[in-house]
Amino acid sequence: MGGKVTCTLGEVKQRADFIVYWGGNPAECHPRHFTKYTIMQKSKFLPRGRKDRTMVLVDIRETKSAKAADIFLQVRPGKDFELITILRALVKGQHVGDAQIAETGLTREVLDDLVQRMKTCKFGCMFFGMGLSMTRGKHMNSAALLTLAAELNAFTKFVAMPMRGHGNVTGADVIMRWQTGYPFGISFNRGYPRYNPGEFSTVDVLVRGDCDAAFIIGADPGATMPQPAIDHLKRIPTIVLDPHVTHTSRLARIHITTAPQGIAAPGTAYRMDEIPLPLKPALKSPYPTDEEVVRRINQAIAQKPFWLPEGSQPQMLNAQV
Amino acid sequence: MTLQVVNNATCTFCGCVCDDIQLHHDEIRIHEAKKACVLGTAWFLNHTAEKKYPDAIIDGREASLDEAIEMAATLLHEADMPLVYGMSNTTCEAQKECAALADQLGGLLDSHTSL
Repeated sequence: MGGKVTCTLGEVKQRADFIVYWGGNPAECHPRHFTKYTIMQKSKFLPRGRKDRTMVLVDIRETKSAKAADIFLQVRPGKDFELITILRALVKGQHVGDAQIAETGLTREVLDDLVQRMKTCKFGCMFFGMGLSMTRGKHMNSAALLTLAAELNAFTKFVAMPMRGHGNVTGADVIMRWQTGYPFGISFNRGYPRYNPGEFSTVDVLVRGDCDAAFIIGADPGATMPQPAIDHLKRIPTIVLDPHVTHTSRLARIHITTAPQGIAAPGTAYRMDEIPLPLKPALKSPYPTDEEVVRRINQAIAQKPFWLPEGSQPQMLNAQV
Repeated sequence: MTLQVVNNATCTFCGCVCDDIQLHHDEIRIHEAKKACVLGTAWFLNHTAEKKYPDAIIDGREASLDEAIEMAATLLHEADMPLVYGMSNTTCEAQKECAALADQLGGLLDSHTSL
């Protein structure tokens, strides 16, 4: 689980009587989250379902999810880290100044009430979305929230879980952790994996123009990334694997059509709580699967000499001072 | 015409990965996705088994799969610092192959998480 203080959605469904959504809009982005796992379900421990559960929404604007919430906290944009830090102090009974609280756009009464509820619930769960992890502070916000969840365990059972977006992005983290020891932003250029987001993360690499070829699978950076990154993808040979001809395919040198996962391609996908689930494809695609195409490319590359001079193997530890 | 039914199919549109969807299909397209949400329904109904695109496209012209694989291998092998990116809308099995690809190339490996 990568050191997270977390649990599965099954535990949330059965036990969580206090649920916080932070910087996410499940009503529109994960429509079945409420009904399948969090607030609507009745269970042995929460027999009255919705009545036994409290839901808090923290966001910068009142989204559709606010209608489902018992308490809505409108935090000032970019002040999530400050708010989490204040909550961590209040949980420990430390003094927090009025000016610090005013900065977040909330009041002391609201925060005292929230802390009281957090400490006295039986099983609390915080779900955090891109509104927290992709704004000012980025991964530091997620780390702060996970620390808050860990610290609340001095009083009651409390966990936190990221609300993952596109399909199997959780699987990508899990597979990379399994294969390399790191979840993303990895370089193999010394012959062994090294991790450094900011240096090896895609947007930074593309904007600086560090890479001289790109292999894109199951993503459409041509539609989502900043323009300088897209410009670099146009300059270098780009190879795209996708069931559709995407924006990225149009600027790529090679596009290979593959079968869509879960619809025509079998395999495994990870749910946001890191539970692997088998796919049950209904259709037979005229195209090969991603797995088959990447394996064939791997085999074709294996026929060529290794990338170090004269095909020598990496020196690993000897090369390091 | 009677449709074939797949019970407890898995939807991979969002991170919920709902595994209780009932799909009604005629082998070409999915006509109904019971229990799926609006996003899931759109995801299932928008993908078909029709051959809408060429197997592969190289520099704007249609090409065969073998040709595209060979050229992809050559381009990636020639590069000094190739980048392997994405891996969201694909299976774990393919993701494992991608990790092997980046390892073999001595390149970069990254997913949507870093955005």
